[in-house]
Amino acid sequence: MKVVGLETIIFGVDDIPSCATFLTDYGLIPVDVTDEGGRFEALDGTGVVLAKTEDPSLPASVGNGCMMRKTIMGVADQQSLDDLYAELSKDRAVETLADGSIESHDDSGFAIGFQISKKKQINLVGEISNLPGSPFQRPVNQLGVDVDAEQIRPISLSHIVYFVPDVKKAEAFYVERLGFRCTDRFEDIGPFLQPSGSLEHHTHFLIGAPPFMQGVEHFTFHFSGPTELMQNGERFIKKGYQAFWGPGRHILGSNWFWYFNSPFACHIEMDADMDLHDKNWTPRVSPMGADASQAFLMRNREKWAPGADTPHNGDYE
Amino acid sequence: MNKFSPLCHVDDLENDCTKGFLENENGQDAIFIVKKNGELYGWKNACPHVQGAPMAWRKDQYLNTQKTHLTCFAHGALFDPTTGLCIQGPCLGKTLEKVELFVSSEGIVSFLDLNNKNKES
Repeated sequence: MKVVGLETIIFGVDDIPSCATFLTDYGLIPVDVTDEGGRFEALDGTGVVLAKTEDPSLPASVGNGCMMRKTIMGVADQQSLDDLYAELSKDRAVETLADGSIESHDDSGFAIGFQISKKKQINLVGEISNLPGSPFQRPVNQLGVDVDAEQIRPISLSHIVYFVPDVKKAEAFYVERLGFRCTDRFEDIGPFLQPSGSLEHHTHFLIGAPPFMQGVEHFTFHFSGPTELMQNGERFIKKGYQAFWGPGRHILGSNWFWYFNSPFACHIEMDADMDLHDKNWTPRVSPMGADASQAFLMRNREKWAPGADTPHNGDYE
Repeated sequence: MNKFSPLCHVDDLENDCTKGFLENENGQDAIFIVKKNGELYGWKNACPHVQGAPMAWRKDQYLNTQKTHLTCFAHGALFDPTTGLCIQGPCLGKTLEKVELFVSSEGIVSFLDLNNKNKES
């Protein structure tokens, strides 16, 4: 039973055009998108699907205004899919859909699907920092930043974060029934969870919250590195989108982050450079708080440069 | 003296629309106005859930699709546009901070800018 990661998140929304513009400006590639919805893909084919709120093919919302209607996870092979079907059928309804995927619900009531992984193999190299003498450097004459770069693209769907009313129960489902591992934990908040077929620090993070908050806190895609993340985020702000937190670098997972408001009643993040762990990793337990949440935190600013035209007090108030 | 800072002309605001003002360098408004049934309501762009968190999903976009409620697009909290009361979301029962608006006989919309206290008017 090898879950390899998240492959699709489905949202039911009322304003498809605005949501489509938002996802496209974020960097996702529209695929067969109409006024009725469509798919928005990262470079490896993972992505977000938009559909109308009232679309009868969508599983029901968990309520509270949550627009996320289903997550689809990839599994390694047919045997894994069959094993999951058998496991989940022990105590809940499981449906096989026309495309061969299966659909059910987790113990918090979120709709979940599983498919044989459709993730494309992409042979991209992440951001490399040059250092004299290092064996890992960019090819000579390859630039570290390109201010004229066209739309920066997310590489792969990274993770989703849920508000859940019973975090122990929610964690037990993913660990005991789906074979996830806890990699780290925020005390009194919840666990970071890694599927058995992935080395990524987390594809799911669970936050204990009152029932009226149940829903999604955020979802995010990986970018190739901090430079593209910050370049894309700066451009996103210039288009009028609203930053919530970041840019900065988390401690648990080490991922760079930048969170924005979204029309999906949750945040969307841009992330990069997440840690990899295997079964030899010992999970940490960290108290929640500003110092534990990030190694450092920055804020976007208007560009300026010291020079002849600089006001007498520089750029400072 | 407190200062009444002009924001816009009343004709610049459309019914069932929102407009933000006093944008910072992060592209976020300090305050915004919603026009509902011809009346103007001013609110601080600060969700009561996370102190000071910006609410719009894009510049000037503070309403849900149905245009019935102000929305914090951080977690989808819904607020009554005329009272600021949160009726759904993590800050259920809390209210937005009101901004007092004034409309002159010429139709200029201004607000009482407490930050301009003691500055020249």
